[in-house]
Amino acid sequence: MAPKYGTEDWEKEYQAMLARRMEKEPPYIYFTPEWAALYEKTIQQDAQYKEAAKTWEGSVVLHVEPAPEYGLEIDLYIFMDLWHGDCRSIRLVPPEAGEAGDFVITGSMERWIQVAKKELDSIKGMMQGKLKLKGDLPTIVRAVRAAQRLVDLSAEVGGIFPTEATEEQKEEFKKAMQEVAALY
Amino acid sequence: MGENFTRVGPESLGIYLAPGAEEAGMASMMAEMISTNLQNKPERIKDYNALRGTIWITAEDAEVDITLAFTGGGLFVHNGKVGNPILHISTDSSTLMELANITIKYGMPYYFDDVGKMVLNKLKSGELKIKGMVPHILELTRLTKIMSVK
Repeated sequence: MAPKYGTEDWEKEYQAMLARRMEKEPPYIYFTPEWAALYEKTIQQDAQYKEAAKTWEGSVVLHVEPAPEYGLEIDLYIFMDLWHGDCRSIRLVPPEAGEAGDFVITGSMERWIQVAKKELDSIKGMMQGKLKLKGDLPTIVRAVRAAQRLVDLSAEVGGIFPTEATEEQKEEFKKAMQEVAALY
Repeated sequence: MGENFTRVGPESLGIYLAPGAEEAGMASMMAEMISTNLQNKPERIKDYNALRGTIWITAEDAEVDITLAFTGGGLFVHNGKVGNPILHISTDSSTLMELANITIKYGMPYYFDDVGKMVLNKLKSGELKIKGMVPHILELTRLTKIMSVK
């Protein structure tokens, strides 16, 4: 049985999984735990985000809806613990923890990949209903530049898109998602 | 109220999404933002209650447009253009979000800080277009106040 999210045991198991998965060199496949770890570093090192988010308090969750055709059988929640311009951590968390985030932005895998390829602006996506936002709207509108930068930084991490993965990479992605699901 | 209208926020505010508007991101975002704003800033309810007329808003880059139909204490948000708007605000999605960041100072929109200046510059350059602004400046001011998250 998986340890409960939020406990030391859960974090220990997550870190062990991450260490195992990071033995392989980048590029990583988008949305895998090792990719999320690079995303965390990218945000932590981004001066533009730090400046735009200096008053920001609260978590932002990117929710990727299941896409079995690309090897994603589960709802994936990329949980970003953010505080005053700092990104304290990014974890792939169980659904109940993801849904409890302060702001949850939901989209299909294709939409998130469009954002990552800079083919879809995140605000435009929300206006079109392609990305759905849950959370206190005035708060996120006040920090609109920070929110936009955060989402746009996902494009700067780089990596392999599950939609364009080879058969071997698809298998690897599936395996990564099974490991994530084992911690649900 | 027709059963196909979806209420947004408390009944006392009378904010509703017209049929089909729930699916349009911009319509539900605008309805939710105005509703939350009025709950957080009840001093702006008098502007809301005084606002009458339809306002058409277009997010050009997203190719999405909505109509806000204010009835003096009520609001119906429609997807697309409805009725004869007294104001038409047309710009890109990001600028629309910036419009919601205009500071309200002494009960009036303040155009002398960074966001305010940016809005004025975009008006000048034509990146932000507001039709009907001169005859309906009062309505525009009221809309700005109830839309502003500041």
